[in-house]
Amino acid sequence: MRRGRILAIKWGMNPNSSSLGVDVTFLLVGATVLAAVTPLVGALLRWRRPIPVDPPPAPPA
Amino acid sequence: MRLGAALRQLVARGVDHARAVAERAQQARRYPPRRVRFERFGAILQLTVPRALVFVDRAFARHVLAVDSGAESEAQSKAESKAESKINRPAAWAGPEIALGDAPLSAPLEAHLQLTNRCEAGCRGCYTGASPDGAPGEWGPAAWMRAIDELASAGVFHVALGGGESAVLPWLGELADHARRRGIIPNLTTSGLAGLGDLVAIADRFGQINVSLDGLGATYARVRGFDGFARADAAIRALRGKKREVGINVVVTRANFGELDGLFAYAAERRLSEVELLRFKPSGRGARAYGELCCSDAQHRAFLPAILAAAKRHAVRVKVDCSYTPMLAHHRPDRALLAELCVYGCTGGDFLVGAKPGGQLTACSFAAPPPPPEAGADRPRITDLRAYWDAPGAFGAFRTWRAAREPCASCAYHALCRGGCKVVSAHTTGDPSAPDPECPRVVDHGRHGGYGEYGGARSRKLPVL
Repeated sequence: MRRGRILAIKWGMNPNSSSLGVDVTFLLVGATVLAAVTPLVGALLRWRRPIPVDPPPAPPA
Repeated sequence: MRLGAALRQLVARGVDHARAVAERAQQARRYPPRRVRFERFGAILQLTVPRALVFVDRAFARHVLAVDSGAESEAQSKAESKAESKINRPAAWAGPEIALGDAPLSAPLEAHLQLTNRCEAGCRGCYTGASPDGAPGEWGPAAWMRAIDELASAGVFHVALGGGESAVLPWLGELADHARRRGIIPNLTTSGLAGLGDLVAIADRFGQINVSLDGLGATYARVRGFDGFARADAAIRALRGKKREVGINVVVTRANFGELDGLFAYAAERRLSEVELLRFKPSGRGARAYGELCCSDAQHRAFLPAILAAAKRHAVRVKVDCSYTPMLAHHRPDRALLAELCVYGCTGGDFLVGAKPGGQLTACSFAAPPPPPEAGADRPRITDLRAYWDAPGAFGAFRTWRAAREPCASCAYHALCRGGCKVVSAHTTGDPSAPDPECPRVVDHGRHGGYGEYGGARSRKLPVL
C-alpha cells in the first residue's frame, strides 16, 4: 500500500488577529533543509502510536 | 570574543527552546488540543512538539490514524470496518481525493476574534478604528464562549484573540481556558499599553503572545502618532519574564522599513521567539493614513532580502502575513518550497475567518461582514460558521480568486498568491477581486504591458543565499 506523503507543514502558531502569519525562516536555508526536515516530521508521525480520531471535546458541564 | 557571544546566544536559545517545549507538553497533557481533521485531500494533523500543522494526503493519513485501510469501494470498506476495530471512512473522503488548494478547506484553521473595539491608544493607523467607547453591540463572555463551541465543532485548531485591546477584558483568561477545554489553542495580540498586570497573570494560558511594536524609540511615535515605545517595551519584558513564547508584531510602513534590522536586533536582545511582519492595510483609520504610511514599490521589492538578512544576522524566526505573498513571489522562490511551507496569499474565508466585536463573521479581520443570506435576515455570525461555510456565494470575492484576470491569470504563482490582498485591491481600485495593485508583477505589467523578466515559472536563488 502506498505510504502517502506530507503535502505541507505550517510551522508555529499565529497570534496575529488580523491576518495569517506563516514562518518563512526556512527560505533562508532553502529546499534542501526542508527536504531533510519533512521526512523527520513524517517519521515522527509514523512512529508514534496511531492517532485516535476523537470527536471534538464535549462542552464543559 | 564574537565566538563567545555567539555560543552564549546559542546556549540561551537552546535553554529557552527546551523550556518552551516542556511548558507546551505540560499544557497539552492538561488540555489536549485537537489532533486531527479530515479533509478532501487527506487530513491535517496537529503536532505540539514541534509546533506545526501537517497537511497529509489520504494514504499518509491511513498510516498514522486509526481509520480504515483505504479500500476504495464502499463494500470493501464495510468489510474492513467489520474485520478491524477502526473507524469508518471519514465523510470528507466520500468523494475523490483532491489536491491541497483545489477547494476551500472543510473549516478554517484559525479564527481571528476581535473581542472588543475598545482601546485608549488611538493609533492613527488602527485597522479597526478602535476607540475608548468600543463598538455598538459588543458581545460578552457568554456569547464568545458559544462562538468557541461553534469553532470547536467545526474543527478549528487555533484562535487569535485581539481587539481593540482585549487585555483589558476581565473575562479574557476565562475565555482562553474555555478554548483550551474545547481543544482550541488560544493565541493573543496585545498593544501592551493597557491591562498588563492582569495579562501577565494569565499569560501561560496562551500558546503564543505577540506585542505590537511598530518601531524603536521615536520611530514608534512616527508610525503610531504617539510615544508608546517605553510602555510596549515594558510589557514585552514583563510578558517574557512569565512566558517564553512571546514575540512582536511589526506593521511595516514607509516610516519603519529602514529600522527592520534594528527590530530584529531588539527581538534577539529580549530573547523573543519570533518577529511577525504585517503589511499596512487601508482599513479603519488606516484607510486615511494609507497614502502616508504604506510602503513604496521599492520597499516592497526589497522586503524579502531585507527580512531574511535580518533574520539571519540576529538568528530570530520570522513570519510574514498572507498579504506579503506577492512581495515574496517577486523574488521567484521555488514554488514547491512555498507550498510546502504553506505560504499562501489571501486565505480569507478558507484557512482563516474573522469575527467583529458583535460576532459578525468576516472572511478576514480587514474585510466587511458579508451581506445577509436573504433580505431582512441578519448578517451571519461566527456562531453560524458551519451553516454559512458551504453556502452558495459564501465570502464573495475571497472565494472567487481562481477566476483571476490578467496579469494574475497567467502568473505562475497565482495558485499560491491568490491575487494578493483583497483589502488593498478594494481600497485602491474599488474592486476586491482586482489584482493586488502593489504586487511588483502587477506594477510591472502596468508599466510594460507584460511580465518582462517575470514571464517564466523558472525559480531563481533566494537573495540571502
